[in-house]
Amino acid sequence: MLKEISRKNAVHIMLVYTGGCNGCDIEVVNAVMSPFYDLEQYKVMLTWNPREADILAVTGPVTRKMEPALKEIYAAIPEPKLVAAIGTCAIIGGPYANLGGDLGSSDQIVGGVNKVIPVDAYIPGCPPRPEDILQAVASVIPILAGKR
Amino acid sequence: MADTDRKDRAEVEVPMGMVHSALLEPFRIRLFVDDEVVVDAEITYDTAHRGIERIMEGMPIQKGLILTERICGICSHIHIWNGTRMVERGLGIDVPQRAHHIRVIGNELERLHSHLLYLGHAFEILGHETFSMRCFMVREPVQNILFVLSGNRVHYTIPVLGGIRPRADISHEKRQTMFSMIDKLETDLREFAARVLNDPFIVSRIKEIGYLSKEDAVKYGALGPNMRASGIDFDWRYKLPEYRDHFDFEVIVRDGGTVLDRVACRVFECLESIKIIRQALETLPDEDPTNVDFELGAMGYSTSYNEAARGEIYDSCALDEVGRIRSYINRTPSMSSLSAMEVSCIGDHLTDASITIASCDPCLTCTNRMTVVDEKKGTNYVMEPEDVLRLARRV
Repeated sequence: MLKEISRKNAVHIMLVYTGGCNGCDIEVVNAVMSPFYDLEQYKVMLTWNPREADILAVTGPVTRKMEPALKEIYAAIPEPKLVAAIGTCAIIGGPYANLGGDLGSSDQIVGGVNKVIPVDAYIPGCPPRPEDILQAVASVIPILAGKR
Repeated sequence: MADTDRKDRAEVEVPMGMVHSALLEPFRIRLFVDDEVVVDAEITYDTAHRGIERIMEGMPIQKGLILTERICGICSHIHIWNGTRMVERGLGIDVPQRAHHIRVIGNELERLHSHLLYLGHAFEILGHETFSMRCFMVREPVQNILFVLSGNRVHYTIPVLGGIRPRADISHEKRQTMFSMIDKLETDLREFAARVLNDPFIVSRIKEIGYLSKEDAVKYGALGPNMRASGIDFDWRYKLPEYRDHFDFEVIVRDGGTVLDRVACRVFECLESIKIIRQALETLPDEDPTNVDFELGAMGYSTSYNEAARGEIYDSCALDEVGRIRSYINRTPSMSSLSAMEVSCIGDHLTDASITIASCDPCLTCTNRMTVVDEKKGTNYVMEPEDVLRLARRV
């Protein structure tokens, strides 16, 4: 109840970087959260604290080393929560997980985020355009606020 | 840097390291402090291992070059350019001058956006959020110019063996658009640079801290702007024929070696980059930008060096008889900054350490991976980002 009221004023995104190339998280932190695209005008804030977060945004393929960390962070976020996989690597593991041909999959990479934690939204692109990320976030705000 | 028993003591105390390292980038910084003065520092980085060099083994070279670009999302163009350049050197492929010019434009735009990202993060650490946001505001037009040039904002994929991709060719209309965008960018950038370097708050906070002497810069292998801010006059752009023979520019060298010098060095380099881009657009030769008249085949061990935004980049590999990669080696510019970071925060106050580390390389701004070890009390604890920022702001 309290969270529903508070969410009308602020939705918090936590960004987790699981071993990608940095392109996607720079688009999120430095393009979408910057004054040029300005996600904060929709009252969406960036946080680094999982207990405060509503949306978990994951960028990059999940490396073996980051797998337990990602699970722990997911467990620490209070319900109800949404998980967004941003970028091709977070969706299917990108070129690092799918080596192609008879090489199969990589030993270093678990794969996409949905192999580790359940994912609610996929934002494709390498990296996704800031407009796409904006649209995706704006479309989930009503879900979080319990309107849909 | 750290001796063994210090390391052992601290290693026990990093149980949250993985969770904390999930923030932005997978580095962990450990500072060993003695009464709030840093006596030793240690940086570990291991979580983002994707095995790219291993993946490339046996891959066709054209495919492998695309993968080199995915090593980093900040310095993506220089990876693919240097890889392409290495193969062109090894196989003796002629590249049209127009393609060289467009590759140079891509690299200089990348330098602009990387340096502006660096400045934005540095001001964020200082707690000057207004400047930080203004910096990102100046940076966004650079991304738009890259978008106009290549059709993507982060992974541009401009070079291809023998030239450039057709979509990155600069038509007359595109050239006019880029000229007008660069004019606007230069006005904004000059205004911003004058504000930054004359701001008493910023300058008083970053001068005389994070000193890296010329000897230490050589000893610990600092490269790029970190090295030039310590008084070493070296830049690969002076050596590469693509730059040396065609463009008139200055390499910024400063003698101070402090955080202020590293920041100022990058600010002035941004203005030089604009100069190079303008010259390249003005003198763009009118010819077919891609040479397709070559055959892939066996290539011996070939190397290439280039100047990335953060320092020197090195690639090497060999090709088998059908053009598949053998033993690709890539040394990234960030690697060279790490050891310089460790040494340049020694002797400073703990509050200066986070900005010192950020001034060497923008990749390390996520400060909550710091473990503080108090040597007198024999305790250590993991600092939260708020603690570090509060210390850095001296509230």
